[in-house]
Amino acid sequence: MELFDTTQLGLQRAIEGAAQRQTALASNLANANTPNFKPKDVDFHSALQAAFATGDRNAVSSAGFQTTTQTDVMRQDGNGIDIDVESAKMAQNGLEYQALVQVARGRIDIIQSAMGTS
Amino acid sequence: MGLFGSLDISASALSAERLRMDVTAENLANAQSTRTAGGGPYRRKEVVTEATGDNGFAGALASARASDGGPQGGVRVSGIVEDQTPNRLVYDPSHPDANAQGYVSMPNVNPVTEMVDLIGASRSYEANVTAMQTSKQMFTKTLDLLR
Repeated sequence: MELFDTTQLGLQRAIEGAAQRQTALASNLANANTPNFKPKDVDFHSALQAAFATGDRNAVSSAGFQTTTQTDVMRQDGNGIDIDVESAKMAQNGLEYQALVQVARGRIDIIQSAMGTS
Repeated sequence: MGLFGSLDISASALSAERLRMDVTAENLANAQSTRTAGGGPYRRKEVVTEATGDNGFAGALASARASDGGPQGGVRVSGIVEDQTPNRLVYDPSHPDANAQGYVSMPNVNPVTEMVDLIGASRSYEANVTAMQTSKQMFTKTLDLLR
């Protein structure tokens, strides 16, 4: 029996995935006016889902997240950024990150209570 | 690159958009300038931006090696270019810069286009400020884990 269960490891990995996604989305917004720039995204959900499906602790804690590039073009200069879509994704990702941290925090609190150190 | 990376990316965009606004303001201010240091009327200037981080061999190699697709780039101003559209000819024989036929070569600046560019740059700036705020909130939230 480990101190941190698979869910906790998954939460940690998801937090890292959301941070990585935040960087990709920030890059998209920064390049909203760069010719030929294509939007990037990090699909950490499906990677984590696949890792959880294996049921292997190590698979969850070491799940890697790929940065994907969409090739759809929005404008004549070859830019593919829709600033509204990217803003919405970023707001969603920010809230998701906060939720993930909140849950991780709650689970750590439970462990702390069990240890009688809080 | 952690969360601070996304702050750097947004910061690079803020300075790029600010430069875009500066250049647009310069265009608007010189919409009627018929004399420049280089001779002839003022020519409209445009900011050209490029993505940083994934350009060139080193960036491509880093992207290929990294499992997460490599570092995400910010934005960089690669240059300020002159708009090559022809100058406007305005009939004004009393103008000191009028040619023999009475036409003055005016800058190729369209104030309406400049206003639209200005609004675009301003909106992009706001979007990047919002992105920075989101990153900041995320980072603050992570610090809560330590409390």
